[in-house]
Amino acid sequence: MSAFSLFEKKSTFGSVYVILIVNRLQLLYFLFITPMFLVQPYMIWAIIAVGILSQLNLVLLSKWFTSNFAAMGYQGFVKLLGERTVRFFAFIGLFPILIKIVVTTLHYVGTISQFIFPSMKISWLIFFVFGISCFVASHGMENTIRFVVIAYLCVFWMILLFFYPFFTPPIAALHDLYPLIPTEWSLHSWYALLFLWSAFSGPEYLICLTPWLDNNQKMLKYLTIGNILTLLEYLIVFIASLFFFGSNYLSKTNYPVVNMVRFLQSPIFERIDIILISVDLFHFVFNIAILLLFFYGATRISLKRLEKQTTPIGLISIYVAIFVFMFILQKWFWRPGTSDINIWVTIEMWSGAFTYLLVPAFLMIAIRRKGRVQ
Amino acid sequence: MWLFFKRLSLLGMLCNMFLMTGCDPFVENNTIEEISPVIFWSINTGEEGKLKISTLVPPVIKETKRLLSLQVDLFKQGGEKFNLIYYRELKRGQTRMVLINEELARKGVISIINTLLVDPEISQRLYLVIVRGNFDDYMQNQIKTQPDLDYFFYRMLKHYEKYNQGEMSIMNLHQFKSTLYSPFPYPILPVFKVNSDNFSYLGTAMFDQDKLIGTIKQMDDQIFQLLNNDHYLKFLPIPKLATTLGYIHSDVHKKLDRTYSTLSIQIDITGIVEEYRGDKNIIEQEQFYQLRDDIEHYLEQQTTDLLKKMQQYKVDPLQFGNLTLSPFARPMSKGKWMDYWQNMEINVDYNVRLAPLSNVQK
Repeated sequence: MSAFSLFEKKSTFGSVYVILIVNRLQLLYFLFITPMFLVQPYMIWAIIAVGILSQLNLVLLSKWFTSNFAAMGYQGFVKLLGERTVRFFAFIGLFPILIKIVVTTLHYVGTISQFIFPSMKISWLIFFVFGISCFVASHGMENTIRFVVIAYLCVFWMILLFFYPFFTPPIAALHDLYPLIPTEWSLHSWYALLFLWSAFSGPEYLICLTPWLDNNQKMLKYLTIGNILTLLEYLIVFIASLFFFGSNYLSKTNYPVVNMVRFLQSPIFERIDIILISVDLFHFVFNIAILLLFFYGATRISLKRLEKQTTPIGLISIYVAIFVFMFILQKWFWRPGTSDINIWVTIEMWSGAFTYLLVPAFLMIAIRRKGRVQ
Repeated sequence: MWLFFKRLSLLGMLCNMFLMTGCDPFVENNTIEEISPVIFWSINTGEEGKLKISTLVPPVIKETKRLLSLQVDLFKQGGEKFNLIYYRELKRGQTRMVLINEELARKGVISIINTLLVDPEISQRLYLVIVRGNFDDYMQNQIKTQPDLDYFFYRMLKHYEKYNQGEMSIMNLHQFKSTLYSPFPYPILPVFKVNSDNFSYLGTAMFDQDKLIGTIKQMDDQIFQLLNNDHYLKFLPIPKLATTLGYIHSDVHKKLDRTYSTLSIQIDITGIVEEYRGDKNIIEQEQFYQLRDDIEHYLEQQTTDLLKKMQQYKVDPLQFGNLTLSPFARPMSKGKWMDYWQNMEINVDYNVRLAPLSNVQK
């Protein structure tokens, strides 16, 4: 039996993988709820604006990948920041990763529970979804990265379903998109912008994948393509939901995208939403699995066990710890729903926005300072 | 390999243990012999503010049908109580129609609509229908002669919905809801008239938010279909002019002036004369044009009257309010639009283009 090595590096991953990972990390569960946060038609411009800002941020991020430090992998971080600092940041990083895992899983489980198995106990669903993610993560980093292709192929076609009937009359009426300029601006609008920024977050986790990625000058190009794909998907979904619900009703509905899919009909299946939600499992499993590996890796770094061999015991104890945390959270502290009452979604939103804003900028500054010192 | 099998069998045993000890994740039982899907709910006003809901069971299996009805305080209570009086469990995932009594609709249907919207099992394509008269009596009478009546009724609604054939205003839950929650909430629903022997389409019900305000019938309803809903009519009989027009397509141009005081509607109509029983010799060009002018005049008069009626009722089911929306301004409030709408001057102009009778002799 070969040694149990999760983080072995046999090959590097290039263009397609970067594009898909960026795209999939950005499009997490936000796809389900984005429209209900944006509501007003003029937020179409906000999506475009935030997409451009996100692009600028990716330019900063790409500076890291083209620097000499990135080529050295983990040692690059140590050279740049010093080992103690790296361990400190790895420890800090555990929290946003944990929150992202938990919120993503619970949110997806909530969707299943509401639309597919309303009578089933939620703890069972958590067990299954999380179990599958753990199974994927156990195959190691390289296989999980490869899994993104499966996840993408399973999910990307869903966006095509939105063109018909949502973009054709009688559902599509131009007056549903009015007013196109902001007629009022409140605290909620700022909140929507923050939410959007958080919706574009995710690519900052690519730095954890530094050793596996093919670091070359074209990195920025791949990041850009991924970001543009995300931008287009958000635009299509948001405009379609405006056509379908109108902005008045959009503010009142939970899970707008799923409700839109429920309106589709096929001669064979009655409930298309069930199929789509189930297939989306691939997407979520990829995200949760890769975040689990990040979590495990970060724990090892902060505990100074990087040189030692990875063990099944270590991985499983991480799984169990997260599962228990999630279970307790769901049992006592989680309120179903996505609006203001669910504090965990809010926390995830802020933490996503912060990590996306700070990580590339911080690395950029560190590289600059190091360059000046040398 | 051996290790793999060992693990697999261990996993299998674990699963069996869970399933056999009753620690089963699934709670609902959907064995087909033991359930009865519901195709429709008919909702009526009951005694003392209660709702009276009924349905026909079983919907498709070859078994004697019967009408179940109950007085309940809450719509969903029906789902629970029916199970107690019937040996199959009712399942609501196949609900296709909800028939609401006119009296109930006058009091407001928002609670029923919201209940339907909340339920993930109920399709957004569910048909909503207003019934004038007692639908239960009709069902009770017809069970013997037409056991599959509920299914036929559903097929009928589906038939007329599919290609907008212009006979009826068919609305589904999504369409009703979208209008109900739009800036100008004046939805419509079809009205069917029923007594113990007959069942017929009556017209279109106009709503102010969730309350039924009035019904437009016959000629008015046909014009309504031309103006908004379908833009097509297969037949338009005009008894007053002894003419039947056929295959009528309409093209509606609406224009609202800047001060919101005048609404001009120009309606271009193309069609053919299918039947004529009047005194004119319409084979001749001149007399034919005269008939056309008469039709134009008649339709203009009727349409103006219809719109006046809507103004009186204070409803806007044709959604003229949408004309005030613009990319650069906040939408007007409902009340403000109503103030404008009530006092609006309306100019209706028809342009009728007809193909003459052919293959005939006077």
